[in-house]
Amino acid sequence: MAVKYAYHPGNVAHSSAIEVAETMPPVARSLGIELIPLKGATSCGAGIIRQASRRLQLTLNARTFAMAEELGLEIITPCAATAGNLHEDLAMLKDDPNLLAEINEVLQRTCDMTFSGETGVHHLLHVIVDEIGLEKLEAVAKNPIDFNVAGFYGPNIQQAGACGGDDVYDPDYLEQVIRVLGGSPVDWESRTQSVGVPGLFSEEPTAMRQTAAVLSEAKSEGADLIVSACNLSHSVLDIYQGKASRTTGLATNIPVIHLTEMLSYSMGHHNTRLAQLRTRIAIIGD
Amino acid sequence: MIDVAIFSVYIEDGCIVCDACEEAAPNVFEVTDDTCFIKPDVRIDGGYDRNEGKSGLKAEVISAFSDDILDAADACPVDVIIVVEGTGEEPPEPEETAAPEPEEMMTEEVVAEPVELSGDDLEGLLATGDRSMSIMFGSQSGNSEDLAAKFAKRASGYGLDATVVDMDGFDLSTLPSMKRVLIICSTWGEGEMPDNAEELWQQASTDSAPKLPGMHFTVLALGDTSYEFYCESGKDWDRRFEELGATRLVERVDCDVDYDPAAAAWALDALAAMAAVDGNGTFHEDQVEAIKDYVSGAAAAGAAGEDGFVVPNITTEAIQVEINIFRYNPVTAASGRDTWICALPGHMSVLEALRVLKATHDGSLTFRDGTCDDPTTAISVNGRLVLPGNVRLDSVAPTRDGGLRLRIEPLPAFDVLRDLVVDHWTLERKRESAKPWMVAATREGADTAQGVMGTMDPVTATSLHSMTDFSSAPLLHSCSDATPHSEEYLGPSVLVGTWARIHDPRTADSNRERLQTVIDSRNGIKAETDLASIRRQNDSSRVVAEALLDARTSALSRDSFNGRHGKHVWWYTWTVKSSGRVNDTVIYRQVLGPMGLMGNLFSGVTARMVFGFTRTGGKVFNDLLGMFAPPAGIGKMPKQFNSQVDNHHEVVAIFNEVDGRF
Repeated sequence: MAVKYAYHPGNVAHSSAIEVAETMPPVARSLGIELIPLKGATSCGAGIIRQASRRLQLTLNARTFAMAEELGLEIITPCAATAGNLHEDLAMLKDDPNLLAEINEVLQRTCDMTFSGETGVHHLLHVIVDEIGLEKLEAVAKNPIDFNVAGFYGPNIQQAGACGGDDVYDPDYLEQVIRVLGGSPVDWESRTQSVGVPGLFSEEPTAMRQTAAVLSEAKSEGADLIVSACNLSHSVLDIYQGKASRTTGLATNIPVIHLTEMLSYSMGHHNTRLAQLRTRIAIIGD
Repeated sequence: MIDVAIFSVYIEDGCIVCDACEEAAPNVFEVTDDTCFIKPDVRIDGGYDRNEGKSGLKAEVISAFSDDILDAADACPVDVIIVVEGTGEEPPEPEETAAPEPEEMMTEEVVAEPVELSGDDLEGLLATGDRSMSIMFGSQSGNSEDLAAKFAKRASGYGLDATVVDMDGFDLSTLPSMKRVLIICSTWGEGEMPDNAEELWQQASTDSAPKLPGMHFTVLALGDTSYEFYCESGKDWDRRFEELGATRLVERVDCDVDYDPAAAAWALDALAAMAAVDGNGTFHEDQVEAIKDYVSGAAAAGAAGEDGFVVPNITTEAIQVEINIFRYNPVTAASGRDTWICALPGHMSVLEALRVLKATHDGSLTFRDGTCDDPTTAISVNGRLVLPGNVRLDSVAPTRDGGLRLRIEPLPAFDVLRDLVVDHWTLERKRESAKPWMVAATREGADTAQGVMGTMDPVTATSLHSMTDFSSAPLLHSCSDATPHSEEYLGPSVLVGTWARIHDPRTADSNRERLQTVIDSRNGIKAETDLASIRRQNDSSRVVAEALLDARTSALSRDSFNGRHGKHVWWYTWTVKSSGRVNDTVIYRQVLGPMGLMGNLFSGVTARMVFGFTRTGGKVFNDLLGMFAPPAGIGKMPKQFNSQVDNHHEVVAIFNEVDGRF
């Protein structure tokens, strides 16, 4: 029987990380997850809107929560930044009844909806391990991801209360998934580090050094590729590889894919892309 | 009356979900995705599962569907349908009569001869067999839930494996399988059940509720004596469990609003009594007092304090620990890692473990030693920044595969002097440059040693203290993932101190203005690339991240959202207002400007964005990829135009209502 979730694809799944939007639906189908699109949901704010106005980001996300609540569903997203930001705002609203009442007044006036606090936010990774089960994942996996894989979490979902049953500081859900799919997880430190996405445009040199540190550690620990649980980090780790290397002099060339891509390839939904990935792993890098 | 009738039916492992049984007896069997269930309305216990407990079937079901059930059993190709036969007057044979008349079973339980246990057997009693216990809570305001969580932690000391169970959504049919149950329930309004308990209570109140012959229970009722129906919900549960055949081990305790003392006293009795129920479900009443002594430490002779009180033993068993430590020798400028595998007590602090390693294995191992709360001792353990004297081995990281793997590093963002010792001087220099110390308005220019220090209202004082009440400035400095990669960035510990000083009402205006320029500067709050890295470390860093977010909003507003920092935030927010989604194209163009875009063009960023060098690209370009030599990886083309989210007018309305600047 399918488990049902309200689906938020993440901030850049419609643009810079279109591959996430393409691979998530077949993955969900194979895992028995029914995705109900939140077609009216806005960007989660990525922690950036709240820099202009905390109340504004809260209200926008409260509208998203109200939509999910109306469906009677909890939210699933494949993006760690979206999961972390939504979770942070949801916790704030649930913890402060006065704030919730004030936000609801605005929602009522502008959208004719209110939010009572009856929803939750989950990252795909935690749904797979905590709810679907690794046995189910193993049963639907067809192609072995037989590489040395560095799993990247980023800092957003590694917050207390936002990472399901995983450990905040020393997570291993991604490693468990990699192992089940036939890969060898790489033991590395940078997997929960930020690559500075919110400061990418304004503090580019620092963000480049952060990005280079993550990429080069994965390489030096013997990874064939990086698998990211975050749409934003996934894009930056790929797009800025060359620039990060020039900024720091570190070796940064390594294939980067998203968690949904790895799952999709494993389940046989995009065999051509898996073949391409194998070629790239053989050629890209030292 | 039939001589030999069907008593029960159940399904063994191995069902192939062929539907044959459901076709033969649709009123009794229901085939699910992976097995077959016996329907609840034909069973005495009302359960919905394979009926492995062999609950009896209702008399009317037996008389109406016996033939169908036997036909279904015959039709089963893998013979997993087991029909239990018995007479209508006598209970069936023991192994096939797990659930005859529950009241009879309960009687057997109560009169069972207690097994005599010697003092030596006490530890065996507390450590062997099924030690599970459920603590069910019915809670409106969270008090019952909090107590349940607290007592669940305490239960492990009694050798009990406690599970906290929310009554909301609880499956009543699983109740009979529980041996030990604590119920903690508050009363709401005029004797009503709390919201999360109401549905379960309705189910438990019906005649079809399952019997509880093998259960031991006790109830803690929370209430308010100013209401007429004091602790009514707890009384209801107490009465109902007794009616269903459960055995009350400790009398119910009713608590008024100041419930803590009474609840604690109840827990002492309740946990000891539950601990005296052995793995077979037999209650050893004579062992209750011995268990209390054992747990309190009196029997084990915990250390006696000077004034006569007993210090509880907090030792834990040795755990297998693999400790991997970063090493750096400044003389040879060589770095590497050393690994020790050892068995250490779980209650030992990380700092004590380092001391043991230094004393017994490698005297050259260097780390900052000190008291448990010495802020300079901070290190990184598996990526978690800690004061090593403040954290136990068994709580610093999760135990996996029966052991603990610790990867110990010096604090990031500092130069390493030797092994785990870092040079804090860089932080001190940054603090010195920011001068976040008090220059009081009342003392400005005054040549006095004391002077009037001013006053502060409690709310402001609490707010300021909460943001500066972190345990270690070096630890907080390292919380930011940006500090190791930016020498100029002042870092969260200097900035939050500065921000707090700005909001200190005692600060002189001239100093406040100077401090504000520190916050707004190029190396101030704008240099932080991701507040999420700060807030994830611990509770105090979360408060600091909130304060720094305020500082950033304040700095950007004063700049009128100019410069790259301001434009990034402004245009990101603007695109969300215009479509509900982020428009990467607009942000790149508006923040970087034509020159920045040209720079990205020549640096390869744009090319990588379009073609997706290491990613696997979109469908159209992937199809074309066959024409190119791999690994061209063509296939990334960000959409230039975004569609709007549904009901976009609502988004615009929210913006107009909350923040009219955009």
